[in-house]
Amino acid sequence: MAENAVIFKGTKEGLYIILKEEMDLDTIKSNLDKKIKPSKRFFEGANIINFKGKKLTQEEFNELKEVIEKEYGMTVVGSFGDKNYDAKSEHIETKKPDILEWLPFENVHKGEALIVRATLRSGQLIQYKGDVVVVGDVNPGAHIKAIGSVIIMGTMRGIVHAGANGDYEAFIAAYKMQPTQLRIGDIITRSPDGRGSKFNNPEIAVVKQGMIVVEPYLRNR
Amino acid sequence: MGEIIVVTSGKGGVGKTTTTANIGTGLALKGKSVVLVDTDIGLRNLDVVMGLENRIVYDLVDVVDGVCRLRQALIKDKRYTNLYLLPAAQTKDKNAVNPEQMQKLACELADEFDYVIFDCPAGIEQGFKNAIAGAKKAIVVTTPEVSAVRDADRIIGLLEASGLRNPMLIINRIKMDMVKRGDMMNIDDMIDILAIDLLGVVPDDDFIVVSTNRGEPAITIEQSLAGQAYRNVVRRIMGEDVPFMNLESDDGFLKKMVKLFGLSKKK
Repeated sequence: MAENAVIFKGTKEGLYIILKEEMDLDTIKSNLDKKIKPSKRFFEGANIINFKGKKLTQEEFNELKEVIEKEYGMTVVGSFGDKNYDAKSEHIETKKPDILEWLPFENVHKGEALIVRATLRSGQLIQYKGDVVVVGDVNPGAHIKAIGSVIIMGTMRGIVHAGANGDYEAFIAAYKMQPTQLRIGDIITRSPDGRGSKFNNPEIAVVKQGMIVVEPYLRNR
Repeated sequence: MGEIIVVTSGKGGVGKTTTTANIGTGLALKGKSVVLVDTDIGLRNLDVVMGLENRIVYDLVDVVDGVCRLRQALIKDKRYTNLYLLPAAQTKDKNAVNPEQMQKLACELADEFDYVIFDCPAGIEQGFKNAIAGAKKAIVVTTPEVSAVRDADRIIGLLEASGLRNPMLIINRIKMDMVKRGDMMNIDDMIDILAIDLLGVVPDDDFIVVSTNRGEPAITIEQSLAGQAYRNVVRRIMGEDVPFMNLESDDGFLKKMVKLFGLSKKK
């Protein structure tokens, strides 16, 4: 649970850092370190719009801002008391949706999805500032670039870039994962050499400890 | 109003011109009136494959520029009734015509012929755009190779974007023994990616080389397996439901015995 004390969220406006409500400042700081250190070069120069989630005091805000700016070379663009930083206002991420109360907080996501009902062919490019759902295959030579996550209800043979503005929480899921390349944030990976036998179960690609890991997301059938 | 078909592929050298020549000849042999149009301006080949290269006086660009009437440029193939060729220009390039002119030409030809078949050049640029401009149906030709299938997929995407939906697929130069060994892409894998209807599967055939050089399309050669495949394609174009040829090579007696007793290695 402590692992998700700090989440980076990419949105249309830019990067937010979402802080878990119950965590104390030190836990937050050590989590920030764990998340940012492995990709320090990538985060350097990035603009953080603001913090969301846990309600900070003026001192806590200043302390975090200083750590972020001095230690990691990022800039906190917003200021303490910004309207959109208020945890109590319509924060979809921190409020547990009523009907889905039993799901852990981290696994529910609400955003704007582009739904494509077609097979993407070689040379076709989809770019979207949100999540992308393809009801069809993605052929080799096709390219999807999304700020959010990408879900392919078919065979994925092309190149997919999720979390294109730096969101490592983004994922890529497909019925059959046979990608040319997978990209999440700034991490790029390809299928392991010699993966001749096709794995026929639906799989999801997520970032774990700085690497893209592909694993089935349904129980063994 | 005749049918206007474009034969295209994306990749070069997969057999568009050969396919155009054979399908055209085949339809003419079935009594239809056919005109073949070579749109590969600057690199014309259809005239050579048809054996009509020394009868060219006017070409496609002359017609479009108004230098001659359409009738004057059409070459009648004397071996078959109602088979005509409109050759491309060799000394110009693909910017010599534009899609609107091709559309107008296609309509004019469709008024006179049962089938108008455009032989498309390789690529996705001006030549391709010109060739598909007047067409109402498309045939995509590919070979069982990853690179050819990649290009065919691109082309299908471009065809769909231009309103030419439901193109049909011809898989050319297939070698069934290589497919069985797993050295060549099999038909199901290709259809899985390309996801269009299969019009025909043409085997790799030495007779094609012979026929191209002689200017006699292989469809007229009895012993040619490729010719047989093209004959089936023609029947399917005319609406007949023809089962696909069994292209597996004939096993000798010993092999047949081995198979019968279940001694051969199964995949």
